[in-house]
Amino acid sequence: MSAHNRGTELDLSWISKIQVNHPAVLRRAEQIQARRTVKKEWQAAWLLKAVTFIDLTTLSGDDTSSNIQRLCYKAKYPIREDLLKALNMHDKGITTAAVCVYPARVCDAVKALKAAGCNIPVASAGQTHLKTRLEEIRLAVEDGATEIDVVINRSLVLTGQWEALYDEIRQFRKACGEAHLKTILATGELGTLTNVYKASMIAMMAGSDFIKTSTGKETVNATFPVAIVMLRAIRDFFWKTGNKIGFKPAGGIRSAKDSLAWLSLVKEELGDEWLKPELFRIGASTLLSDIERQIYHHVTGRYAAYHDLPMS
Amino acid sequence: MAATRAGPRAREIFTSLEYGPVPESHACALAGRGDPEAPAAAVDPGIPGDWAGCSRGVIGLILPPTFSFLEMMWRICPALAVGCTVVALVPPASPAPLLLAQLAGELGPFPGILNVLSGPASLVPILASQPGIRKVAFCGAPEEGRALRRSLAGECAELGLALGTESLLLLTDTADVDSAVEGVVDAAWSDRGPGGLRLLIQESVWDEAMRRLQERMGRLRSGRGLDGAVDMGARGAAACDLVQRFVREAQSQGAQVFQAGDVPSERPFYPPTLVSNLPPASPCAQVEVPWPVVVASPFRTAKEALLVANGTPRGGSASVWSERLGQALELGYGLQVGTVWINAHGLRDPSVPTGGCKESGCSWHGGPDGLYEYLRPSGTPARLSCLSKNLNYDTFGLAVPSTLPAGPEIGPSPAPPYGLFVGGRFQAPGARSSRPIRDSSGNLHGYVAEGGAKDIRGAVEAAHQAFPGWAGQSPGARAALLWALAAALERRKSTLASRLERQGAELKAAEAEVELSARRLRAWGARVQAQGHTLQVAGLRGPVLRLREPLGVLAVVCPDEWPLLAFVSLLAPALAYGNTVVMVPSAACPLLALEVCQDMATVFPAGLANVVTGDRDHLTRCLALHQDVQAMWYFGSAQGSQFVEWASAGNLKPVWASRGCPRAWDQEAEGAGPELGLRVARTKALWLPMGD
Repeated sequence: MSAHNRGTELDLSWISKIQVNHPAVLRRAEQIQARRTVKKEWQAAWLLKAVTFIDLTTLSGDDTSSNIQRLCYKAKYPIREDLLKALNMHDKGITTAAVCVYPARVCDAVKALKAAGCNIPVASAGQTHLKTRLEEIRLAVEDGATEIDVVINRSLVLTGQWEALYDEIRQFRKACGEAHLKTILATGELGTLTNVYKASMIAMMAGSDFIKTSTGKETVNATFPVAIVMLRAIRDFFWKTGNKIGFKPAGGIRSAKDSLAWLSLVKEELGDEWLKPELFRIGASTLLSDIERQIYHHVTGRYAAYHDLPMS
Repeated sequence: MAATRAGPRAREIFTSLEYGPVPESHACALAGRGDPEAPAAAVDPGIPGDWAGCSRGVIGLILPPTFSFLEMMWRICPALAVGCTVVALVPPASPAPLLLAQLAGELGPFPGILNVLSGPASLVPILASQPGIRKVAFCGAPEEGRALRRSLAGECAELGLALGTESLLLLTDTADVDSAVEGVVDAAWSDRGPGGLRLLIQESVWDEAMRRLQERMGRLRSGRGLDGAVDMGARGAAACDLVQRFVREAQSQGAQVFQAGDVPSERPFYPPTLVSNLPPASPCAQVEVPWPVVVASPFRTAKEALLVANGTPRGGSASVWSERLGQALELGYGLQVGTVWINAHGLRDPSVPTGGCKESGCSWHGGPDGLYEYLRPSGTPARLSCLSKNLNYDTFGLAVPSTLPAGPEIGPSPAPPYGLFVGGRFQAPGARSSRPIRDSSGNLHGYVAEGGAKDIRGAVEAAHQAFPGWAGQSPGARAALLWALAAALERRKSTLASRLERQGAELKAAEAEVELSARRLRAWGARVQAQGHTLQVAGLRGPVLRLREPLGVLAVVCPDEWPLLAFVSLLAPALAYGNTVVMVPSAACPLLALEVCQDMATVFPAGLANVVTGDRDHLTRCLALHQDVQAMWYFGSAQGSQFVEWASAGNLKPVWASRGCPRAWDQEAEGAGPELGLRVARTKALWLPMGD
């Protein structure tokens, strides 16, 4: 993993004059989905690329070591071997980017992946006290997680306490140490797109390596308008400081067609440099099976049954 | 042509066509029949239902070399829905209209409601001068529109012009700059915009906006239209040549040209182009911006933005990008264009009127205004009278025939000659001469001034000076002044009636005329007060306002008959809606109008109404050729009407000419009817997308 973002001093003038026009962003979101369609072998290639961006996620109350093990194995071998051979991509090392689990399950995941050498991020969600969140981060890093996804305190955004938000994320940064920090903005609960932009900027200024839309378990997760605003914030931060910050949408991305639209969005707004697992992730669980079905159809020309493809 | 009798039946049948369901269902809903599922669009309450009575007949439609299918449907469907039949002339190599005509031809008992000819531009004058055509709807370049206007002067067909393709985008410093950049892409570099774009950026956000714009241009992709992954296609070799010439000239005049995007290098494809630092005085800045060029210029304040934006002859469409509601509305109301979008660009809907003003022509499509293009008020003749071809435009009204001295005066010596009523007071004419006015028994009634070109110039200037203040008044304030004038007229009833008597009217009729004039003044004042801004809810989240704005300076040449009533009937609606007027009163008896001026001198602000007497043809010539008169109404001779129509090609002012047909001014339908209300103001559609 590349060196992480050191962050900058808090400069509120970067966010004081920003305006985001909601209907215009909605219109842009519709356009992107309609205007960049990819077909045939290019579609298969894009789908394989999308697989390498997936953070395979399981955040359920009933996770145990058995389903974590299955998940980790699926992360190592996301597409069936013979399909990859048919596309001549079996030796390119196609795996998912990471595996995303609750802090308590980090040990199981590390054990399951020991041979594979994949990274393991930890998600810690909820409006818990700052102290408990920091403690969870430290425990997860001790257990072997190399990426941490933390949720910010939404009330700070809604009441406009930007300095407090900056300080909080700075503390996450310190607690993470060398691990990668993904700041979850919980955009569904931030109210307006202008707040989303401001929160993104503050998160990047404070030293996040990635900004993430949501945990994936809320009512409103990753939507295109929100993503457009966050990507514009990432681009503006890059223009101001030269640091490239990553982006991760999570939640609600279920079909292969959606994933292609997300790839087009990042390509349009930020360019090809961001289409790398170091700078772009998709937090999803059922997406991988849909992609695998599309690849199966592309290779064989037939639609797969449920039992044809290995479970994750 | 035989299908014109089919009228209403054709409407019903056409609704069953699959093509273009949205435009024609809207048109049917507005025309008062048909589809109950179509959202009922609110019609201006000032126009009563019987206006929608009569369709015009055969419409000749001329489409430009690059037209979109939707534009074509939006012009054809309303015409068919109200019962007109259409003959369309389309450029060669466009199969879509031909296919549409084939479908229309399969509609059973009415073949011939839609006829399509595919041919070069040289067929345009031939089509326009066909004897059966009642109205020509021309859509295309301004120069061709002008030429068509000149050649159709005096012909049987009316002309509606929709010219020009350029639009405007105003970016203030309180805007969402990224979204405004997307607006620029929608306007100029997607296939939804018809032409180029003038971009006005506030100086404080100039660098930011230019950087984002250039970055965004790098991501555009151009290619064949049917490729699903491109933003824009090509517009043909002619458009490519035009833009290459423009860019070369712009570079030679010192502008900076930036081009980017993933574009094939073959001929008809041209990359998206951004031109900046083009000096406003350069010749390139005077012509229309071609596709796919965006010409960017800075401005300092919102007021300067309005001056720069209104400082071109183009008046098509514009968008204002600002997150401050007050500023956005101020700019939206101040721009002299037909359509304004706030924080959006290029939104269109068939239920919203789309048109322009100034050099963009004044014909409309969509909404109620689009339907009125194809209707005529019930009671007016179906055919306009066709006029002489031998009118010499260079000499018409040029020289004023000299009037001989009046001869020995009989009876009490008349009052000293009236001056011209310009700028709120009576002034002596530039030529320092007067002409005698005789009454019905041949005796001398009085002397009036002989106005000339200089006086017209002064009158139009005075009217322009008074216009901003008058248009800025609320309708209630304007109504109050009109009522005050009505009261003054009534106080003067005996003088006016006696003058009318001398002109040959009976005393009772004269008094009735004066009373009717006062009533009309009051009625127009009340009508404009009661009129609100119709809200149209288009296929959009948010309202669309249909504003009725004053035209500007209106020139009116009054008819000879009804010297008082016609004068007041024309003055009242023009003033009520916020215009200022320059009037040439009845040539037979201008004294009535001048009596009214004596009251106007005390009641009205200076310059509101200006009355110039003199030789009617000469004054008509001066007014018709004046580039700063926004509209002209002519109720004189047939020859004069033809000249007025010909001369209006200069600044493409809307013209209403009587063609020598008398009008019954005492009838409500003709003297104070809805047609006056429609012609006296222009429409603007203000789009307000909502959401946060």
